[in-house]
Amino acid sequence: MISTHHPRTMLTTLAFLLALLGAHSAAAAGNPQRGLEKSTVCQSCHGVDGNLSLQDDYPKLGGQHYDYLVHALKAYRSGDRENAIMAGFASGLSDQDIEDLAAWYASQDGLVDLSVD
Amino acid sequence: MFTSTMRSLFSALCFLAAAWLASAAAAQQGDPDKGKVIAYTCNGCHGIPFQQNVYPTYSVPRIGGQNYGYIVSSLQAYREGTRKHATMNAQAHTLSDEDIHDVAAYFVSLAPEDAPSEGAENAAEGSAP
Repeated sequence: MISTHHPRTMLTTLAFLLALLGAHSAAAAGNPQRGLEKSTVCQSCHGVDGNLSLQDDYPKLGGQHYDYLVHALKAYRSGDRENAIMAGFASGLSDQDIEDLAAWYASQDGLVDLSVD
Repeated sequence: MFTSTMRSLFSALCFLAAAWLASAAAAQQGDPDKGKVIAYTCNGCHGIPFQQNVYPTYSVPRIGGQNYGYIVSSLQAYREGTRKHATMNAQAHTLSDEDIHDVAAYFVSLAPEDAPSEGAENAAEGSAP
């Protein structure tokens, strides 16, 4: 291995890997309790736990994957996913807000995986 | 004779109206058993726990127990291309409206027995003045 011959290279690699790890955990670092506090607007259509939808064509959010919720909210915010109502709400959210909200809904019971049988 | 013609015409119209209403209701509520067969393909991504979408990377969404109307509108939007995702656009393109309703009925049927929404609904009703 190169690293055994070049301690500096090894250290650089290690630092790089640690940085990657840091970036990864930061990506999954929503705070569910903060998310609950920030979710009052969301609640009127999706319910406190994300399972009480105002209309049947609004999705349930409880139990949805954290990173999918982050992806969806960012897509609404950027306009990649077009929805007049959600664009309005998502435009005011920071990355941190999005991660907190996603952490809250992902931590609730609700949606399940399809089962292969 | 005139009135009897009118009467049979009226009955025929009533019958047609009832048949139309019944078919409209059937379209509104898909068949979960037929949906399960169609959903075999969906399992390839949505049935594997923590299956990842790539470019960008994120978990494929959970859809078991999702709302009927949301599944229908999502699949129709994918089919029409107003909601963009290469794989889902291609999959939805193969589905008729009836297929979409059947699949939606199947996904709804997967909601856990003690669906949290029931409790939330009751709580909301209970707190109403």
